Amino acid sequence: MKPEALAEHLNRVLEGLEIDHVVGTRVTHLTRLSGGANNETWRFTWHETPLILRRRPFNAESVEGLDGDILGLSLVDEAAIIQLAAQTAVPVPHIYTVLEASHPLGEAFIMAFIPGESIPQQWLNAAEFDAARNGLAYACGEALAQTHTVDCSQLPNTIKPSTLAHRFNGIQRRLQIFGDVSPAMQFGLNWLIDHAPNDAQCVLLHGDFRTGNLLVNEQGLAGILDWELAHQGPPAEDLGYLCAHVWRFGNIEKPVGGFGEYADLLAGYRSIAGWAPDLESLRYWEIFAALNWGLVCQTMGALWHSGSGDIERAAIARRRSEAELDLIYLIDTWETL
Amino acid sequence: MTELDESITATHVTSQELLQAVKGFLAETVTPALNDRDQFNARVAANVIGIVQREQALGPRLSALDHAAFSKWIPDGAPDDDVVPQISQALAKRRIKPDAAFLDYLKQRQLLLSAINNPRYANRVVAAEKWRYLTTDIDPVADTR
Repeated sequence: MKPEALAEHLNRVLEGLEIDHVVGTRVTHLTRLSGGANNETWRFTWHETPLILRRRPFNAESVEGLDGDILGLSLVDEAAIIQLAAQTAVPVPHIYTVLEASHPLGEAFIMAFIPGESIPQQWLNAAEFDAARNGLAYACGEALAQTHTVDCSQLPNTIKPSTLAHRFNGIQRRLQIFGDVSPAMQFGLNWLIDHAPNDAQCVLLHGDFRTGNLLVNEQGLAGILDWELAHQGPPAEDLGYLCAHVWRFGNIEKPVGGFGEYADLLAGYRSIAGWAPDLESLRYWEIFAALNWGLVCQTMGALWHSGSGDIERAAIARRRSEAELDLIYLIDTWETL
Repeated sequence: MTELDESITATHVTSQELLQAVKGFLAETVTPALNDRDQFNARVAANVIGIVQREQALGPRLSALDHAAFSKWIPDGAPDDDVVPQISQALAKRRIKPDAAFLDYLKQRQLLLSAINNPRYANRVVAAEKWRYLTTDIDPVADTR
């Protein structure tokens, strides 16, 4: 859809909402922010209020034979999750309206714009974010503990509890569909199966809680973005995911997202939950996250082969070797500790 | 008539040199003329050419490594078929014991693959240092053009 048509549809939607409305207001400053596997994100201004549109283009693709947590939730379900998270103290944007797939804009939602920096390279090493970074691992621990308090009986029925055995079966099937091209990922899956924790409590997980999905200002954590991979699982999974090597942006000596320490993350979590997972279980989920990143890279390659996406997607397929290296390195380190 | 020096008389342009030329064109001519999104993709394109260059250089070693592993761990396999999926499938069926020797194969394989696909990945340098006993002929800070 062309930006002009998008703006016209937005005008009609926004005229019916109670947002900073003066007669004759029109959408201005409409700008596409990012691609993403499934969804478009646009920023625009309504009178003097900056807003965000998230929409799924009608040609959103899928890879045959895949289900579950790589291609993500519907936007209607993602909006429902954000609204549930907002009822805890998790910093998420207010959602003004949710549009079903039958709307001319397609499936979409409109939410508040939270000022802050979302590009990790802009805040991970800059001096003006020193104070923000110092408290960030603790704040992430708090936010995750709050997310994990969401009552799972309130979740959309597409987000069901799952066992690790079921997820391992799904991963094994994906590795086969993708041609068994990676001995490292098969080795990693075997290891994860052999070292699996007992299925513990199932909570709502953000599912993609990584440095690139944090909105940071000079005071600290301003918002948590991109809830489309939310699912149910054990609490340690979200914490380990944030610590995966691939999300450290080169600062591998800072285990929490390239900016923080394990102890601060766990202390923040404990301050809300009254308990925290142990370090070993976090490290297990770091290894799981490495395998998961490898699967995402493979999915990008499959989507590109199906004729969808630009050169970036083809290039991401090659980043599978980062995930594979991490798998072997982390398992080697685990075994020799 | 003046004598041509050796570089001018080298008339054949290798595939490596062609790739280098395309990469230079993308970085120096194309990228500055584009909008933000296309500039990003043009940088990705230049990086992709780097992957192809490194795969041309290191691919034969990777293939030799995989075939050696195949002979060792799947002696009754069919080496004319693609050997890597057969190794994965044998692992999935738990027919290969993942002992230290097999782990060493995977380490060598990943160091080569990382050197091809993303030599700047921070953990590659750390892993290459830790696994130096395997990698005396792979420079842990290899060419990152």
